Amino acid sequence: MMRLLRVIRAQLRASLALALQYRLEFLVEGLLALLWMAVTLVPLLVVFGARGTVAGWSFAEMLVVLGWFVALKGVLEGTLSPSLMQVVEHVRKGTLDFVLLKPADAQLLVSLSKIEPWRVIDFAGAAVIFTYAFRQIGHAPSAADLLLSAALLLAAVLVLYSIAILVVSIAFVAVRVDNLLYLFQSVFDVARWPSSVFRGALAMIFTYVLPLALMTTYPALALLGKLNARTALGALLGAFVFAGLARLIWLSSIRRYTSASS
Amino acid sequence: MIEVEHLRKWYRVHRREPGLKAALRSLLHRPYEDVKAVEDISFSIGAGERVGFLGPNGAGKTTTLKVLAGLLHPTEGRVAVGGFLPQERAREFLTQITLVMGQKQQLLWDLPPSETFALNRAIYDIPRAQYEETVAELTALLELAPLLGKPTRQLSLGERMKCELAVALLHRPKVLFLDEPTIGLDVSMQATVRTFVRAYNERFSATVILTSHYMEDVAALCPRVMVIDKGRLIFDGALPDLIRRVRPDKRVLLRLSKPVEQRDLLPLGTIISQNDAEVIIQVSQEGLQASVARALSTLPLRDLTVEDPPLEEVMRDLFAQGNAA
Amino acid sequence: MMAALKAYPQMLKTGFAEAVAYRAEFLIWMFATNMPLVMLAIWAAAARSGPIAGYSQTGFTAYYLCALLVRLMTGAWVVWELTMDIRQGTFALQLLRPINPLWQRSADNLAAIPMRGIVALPVVGILLWLARGELSHDPLQWLLLCPALMGAWLLYFLVQASIGTLALRFESASSLFDAWLGFSNILSGYLIPLDLFPRAVRDIALFLPFRFQLSYPIELMLGRWSRGEALELLAAQWAYVALFFMITRFAWRSGLRHYAAYGG
Repeated sequence: MMRLLRVIRAQLRASLALALQYRLEFLVEGLLALLWMAVTLVPLLVVFGARGTVAGWSFAEMLVVLGWFVALKGVLEGTLSPSLMQVVEHVRKGTLDFVLLKPADAQLLVSLSKIEPWRVIDFAGAAVIFTYAFRQIGHAPSAADLLLSAALLLAAVLVLYSIAILVVSIAFVAVRVDNLLYLFQSVFDVARWPSSVFRGALAMIFTYVLPLALMTTYPALALLGKLNARTALGALLGAFVFAGLARLIWLSSIRRYTSASS
Repeated sequence: MIEVEHLRKWYRVHRREPGLKAALRSLLHRPYEDVKAVEDISFSIGAGERVGFLGPNGAGKTTTLKVLAGLLHPTEGRVAVGGFLPQERAREFLTQITLVMGQKQQLLWDLPPSETFALNRAIYDIPRAQYEETVAELTALLELAPLLGKPTRQLSLGERMKCELAVALLHRPKVLFLDEPTIGLDVSMQATVRTFVRAYNERFSATVILTSHYMEDVAALCPRVMVIDKGRLIFDGALPDLIRRVRPDKRVLLRLSKPVEQRDLLPLGTIISQNDAEVIIQVSQEGLQASVARALSTLPLRDLTVEDPPLEEVMRDLFAQGNAA
Repeated sequence: MMAALKAYPQMLKTGFAEAVAYRAEFLIWMFATNMPLVMLAIWAAAARSGPIAGYSQTGFTAYYLCALLVRLMTGAWVVWELTMDIRQGTFALQLLRPINPLWQRSADNLAAIPMRGIVALPVVGILLWLARGELSHDPLQWLLLCPALMGAWLLYFLVQASIGTLALRFESASSLFDAWLGFSNILSGYLIPLDLFPRAVRDIALFLPFRFQLSYPIELMLGRWSRGEALELLAAQWAYVALFFMITRFAWRSGLRHYAAYGG
């Protein structure tokens, strides 16, 4: 376990040093993260400029969903996407073997191989959004709600991570997987709205097929104290099953890769 | 064809130091330094010549090549290629030259090479008849026929290089800049590339300038070599002269009909290797005649040959000398 | 210039062959263009109880489907190609060809239009099916849509080209383009119809170049303007095209000067 942490720390340090090499880019990317946060907020402001509630959600409640969205987008674009792009590159250049040869878990190495440190701004932004939202609501979330929503956040990150791992597993079979990742990133944009905005078939898809509801809507509901225990438990369970499945598929595709490339 | 007078090329680059702390510091203050890539080089190359640029990594070979091709502007000095100032990038100039880089490609990755051929025909505005003749000729010379229809990504490195050469020569350039054209290729493919370049040079009396890490490329292709080290031209002449200057010794290879004692060999020169059937001896230029005569008269010989020292060794010595100076 | 035009048909042919070779990727890229639909969902939910600023649910449907169409038909990606070529050093080889590589890039982008049309066609079908009543009835303005789309594409292409050229100076110009995209998403009407902004913001947005890249063709399709106004706007759009052409030219020349001094 300690070794695992050391590996993670070393990877983070390397990524940070790499990111700092590019001075201009560092500044620009930091500002960019802020800009994109503003871009995410503008539509919400405009929509609620016209309406008091939308699909049963007030402005403040919708902000909570958006807060989770911003935070998770930070996770996705700050660690998962760049790392996975790295894998795609490895597979294309045939240098993945170097990664597989290292005496640490390949999935771990692969999924943290590159981070973009300026994405920390996303978390700060999410915190600001939460603070503002609960000021508007008038009371802070209870400790129990906080705990539940933290648990659900964990589930959300796990699902996000698993989807990314699944995408990479495909990389071993079909090479141009960067596009799939890109597609997923853009589909993830749907998670900026609570799932109840959607109706009919779309609502079903975003809850069960691509569990976007689990990523932002459920943690938000939990924080607002509106999520019932059964849904929460179901979501957590679902997330772990999903992660286990992704791990299995990862292992089997690694095996196939190593046996095929020898 | 090519005139270079007092060429200088300096770059200003920022220095990057390793480590997190240095990286953080460089956010505030970024140190600059001048890199003197080329320092006062002059030479002239006639039409139809084949010249090899030799030198260690970072010696200024590729920089010189890029200045000649017009990609880089000289910091000082005068450069003329075929009567043009390369950096002006006149269309007439660009249609007379070509650049092949072993590690970079212009072929479209996911399309067959024939598609890039067609594209270059349009870009260089090659008359249809000449184009077809050239393609037929190149196809025959390089055995491209089975490759042209396959997507480039499916070709092997060697096959790709052959197509890369062909596409670079479609417009029948008069000056060829070849930057490490055989890098990563296997021995037979290297030979193919060399033979082809030579054939093209003779057929169109085109000027060829080559940089390569493989001494065989230079030895086989270039009657004239230029050695560039630390941005300076330290040798310009024929390869045998270079060898004579760097290593004025010869190697005498003796095949013996029966084993001999070491003390019988010592008077001949320095023994490099010895076994029962074969001995290699290093002999100075002046002592060569005496040694050979002595060997012939005193030793039970089956065969005797005199050779230059291996090229790679010559190069190693050359740059070791340069670094010591 | 003449040489480039002479070679252009072949460039288009090659570009089309490339588009066909990358058909699977194209499909994915286009499916990834789903932001208008995401935005449509929230506005449709908000407009359930009645129209907002003149947009009913069908109005929003029409707007965002048009936005999707314009986006699909005016794609450009030259900024990524330029930064990639420059980083990998293949830029040098392209530079040695006797025609400016941007011509080739523009041909690549244009030649993908038939491919994009295939994906856009179902969107047209859905648009006609769901929101026919919201569309313009003036055949002349539909005719104007052709130069308007052309202008929109050119604007997008030229902005990308001028920013991509900056990669010759900076390690990564693509983040600069990212910033431009951020502003463009808001101010071009991609996320929100400009009509829904507060008056002051809207008035500014109408003057900026972003609007001519997306909102203006949508406005034509929705019949927002009289014929005279539509023509005036077309002139304004092409004036911006001319401006960005000059900017690209300048950026290209100065970028090449830098490249020649410092190397790739």
